[in-house]
Amino acid sequence: MNIIEVQNVTKKYSNHLALDNISLAIQKGVVYGLLGPNGAGKTTLIRILNQITAPDSGTVLFNGNPISRRDIEKIGYLPEERGLYKKMKVGEEAMYLAQLKGLSKQEALERLKYWFIKFEIQSWWNKKVEELSKGMQQKLQFITTVVHRPDFLILDEPFSGLDPINTNLIRQELLELKKQGTTIIISTHNMASVEEICDEICLINKAHKILEGNLAEIKQRFKENVYSLTLNGECAIPAFPDKFSVMETSSAVNQHHYVVKVLDGGSANQLLQFVMEYGNVMSFNEVLPSMNDIFIQQVEKYNEELGINN
Amino acid sequence: MNNTLLIISREYLTRVKKKSFIILTLVVPILFAALMVVPVLLATKGREHVNVMVVDDNEIYINNFVENDKTSFSYRSGDIEQIKKEALAGDYDVVLYFPRSSQKVNANMYYNEEPSMYLRSELESQINNMFFDHVLQDTFNIDLDRYKTIKDLARSQITMIQIDENGGEKESMAEMNKTIGMICGFVIYFFIFLFAGQVLRGVLEEKNNRIVEVLISSVKPIELLLGKIIGIALVGLTQFLIWIVFTLVILTGVQFAMPDKFMEMSGVNTEQVMESVKDSQMVEAVNNSKLATEALGEENIFAEISNYFPISFTEMILCFLFFFLTGYLVYSALFAAVGSAADNETDSNQLTMPITMPLLLTIVMVMPIADNPNGKLAFWLSMIPLTSPVAMLTRLPSGVPLWELLLSMVLMVLFFIFVVWFAAKVYRTGILMYGKKVSWKEIWKWVRYE
Repeated sequence: MNIIEVQNVTKKYSNHLALDNISLAIQKGVVYGLLGPNGAGKTTLIRILNQITAPDSGTVLFNGNPISRRDIEKIGYLPEERGLYKKMKVGEEAMYLAQLKGLSKQEALERLKYWFIKFEIQSWWNKKVEELSKGMQQKLQFITTVVHRPDFLILDEPFSGLDPINTNLIRQELLELKKQGTTIIISTHNMASVEEICDEICLINKAHKILEGNLAEIKQRFKENVYSLTLNGECAIPAFPDKFSVMETSSAVNQHHYVVKVLDGGSANQLLQFVMEYGNVMSFNEVLPSMNDIFIQQVEKYNEELGINN
Repeated sequence: MNNTLLIISREYLTRVKKKSFIILTLVVPILFAALMVVPVLLATKGREHVNVMVVDDNEIYINNFVENDKTSFSYRSGDIEQIKKEALAGDYDVVLYFPRSSQKVNANMYYNEEPSMYLRSELESQINNMFFDHVLQDTFNIDLDRYKTIKDLARSQITMIQIDENGGEKESMAEMNKTIGMICGFVIYFFIFLFAGQVLRGVLEEKNNRIVEVLISSVKPIELLLGKIIGIALVGLTQFLIWIVFTLVILTGVQFAMPDKFMEMSGVNTEQVMESVKDSQMVEAVNNSKLATEALGEENIFAEISNYFPISFTEMILCFLFFFLTGYLVYSALFAAVGSAADNETDSNQLTMPITMPLLLTIVMVMPIADNPNGKLAFWLSMIPLTSPVAMLTRLPSGVPLWELLLSMVLMVLFFIFVVWFAAKVYRTGILMYGKKVSWKEIWKWVRYE
């Protein structure tokens, strides 16, 4: 079951095309990474999902029906540019934002209490927002994004500006929400976090979708038969056969580490058989490309095809 | 609707709880009351009994000064140096000395403690009158009693009577109407800018904060826009209400505390002012108002005053509220549109220029409008929606034909509907635009967009 389906969405601004016939589907309960270089059209897509702007053509389905204002209560949105009323008190502001999302006063108060206790920030309730540090404001903003228990969370760069402790805290909360069935879409440039929490990804470049799918599967798809192995032996391997190309070597005492690419005509088993003759194989792994590599490679490839030099 | 109410209450409560709001709300009535009370207190105080010793070498003024309960005169002749010393050491507060000269109106006044301004102007006017009589008698040989009889006969007074559409007649007071009209014009101008400016700053704040993106993912831009405009309008109305009530409370309180001083308030006040004011025009104006206050009596001042207006107090207040509200709504919607298009207050100033120019122009025109409240200029300015709040309020006390008033109101409401439509379109696009210097041409594109 897809919670969100984007069908042939196109959005044009006066002098440039922001989204060109984009389609994608997000399954219930997954963490979906929306990736792409700056200016690719991610923010526009997010704004369309939030119904802040309307697409020029195409439709967006939410739970199978065209998305409408009623669905707003089921969506939580954390924009990239964080903003709060600086002069308001923390508690009042949180109450206000929670009520705007359709919670009653009583509900809002109860749920905010839960989150304030959970994050151990009860003492902030009567402080003014401007007295909080940037990281503290981010926490508050996160709470106001999830307080109405949305089915669908849209997070634009959720980890930017957070210290490692708070990054971890937010990541734990996201995984917890996922466990409860929340679908999460994350737009980010931070590839490490994508690999850690995303199930599926979509790569957008120059208003077009250039890659979509399950993260593990994509990594499989782009793997290049590269293996990393560690050998325990007296001496290093003098030379590899032609069907293996050595990309990296390093040696410590009696420990030799290789990263080897298996070329056409070769196989992993042949590589293993070959190296076994030189000592004890301590480890043998396939090296999958990082999301970072795939990102750069795919975007550059696409731009080259278009004949654009960055 | 629920969302709009939430927004209204936030806009209202955050502003009403501000220290600056509370201080302004409390201080203004005190200032207002002080403006009314202090001149009366000053006028009644500082008038102690003064003993004047007159030494006149020309022998014109001897025994001619008119005494009253605050001033008494004695006369001596002889060596001024000696008299001066003795008199000031004795019971006298001042010595008024006319040296022998052809300029018989010039005098020196000697004193230890400076006498009040009133004494000086009172003496001057007495001297002028006496000298005038002296010249009539001695130089022109005119009999004073006959002169005074003739002078009393020749006292013209023009009563202003306005005839309304139904042929009814009303005595009017053009001067007062003009003044009240101008005050109303200025007041409405001030409040429109004060509160519409708050809308502008509010929109800019949300945009600069970037909170606007969170907000419009929860509510429609139009709800946010209307919530802000209505919330601030309520702040303005609250402030008005408190000001009116507080001023009345303070004035009544003072009146209760010192009833005697306020019994003579109108009389004493104008008399004092008259004595100190030399400018003949001013004296005339004050004279008029004095006549008016005398005519009114003490019982039902409000009812009496309203007889002199072509428009009743209630009508006046209703019109004021109508034009304040519609004027505020029009300007705040326009300001909100501008605020959404700009990135900061400096940019927004550039964009507000074309909007505020008409209002500024009207303020410059307030005098001519008040002078000729039914002229072409006044008529057209009170029809154009951007200028009509100020222009119409300036004209109102002098009487405006009903059809003109209604037409102006209808135009205002129609224009308001147009402006809200326009502002909503601009606002919707503008709040999401950053880092772009926007021109009016660009804004017009946003309006036609979609």
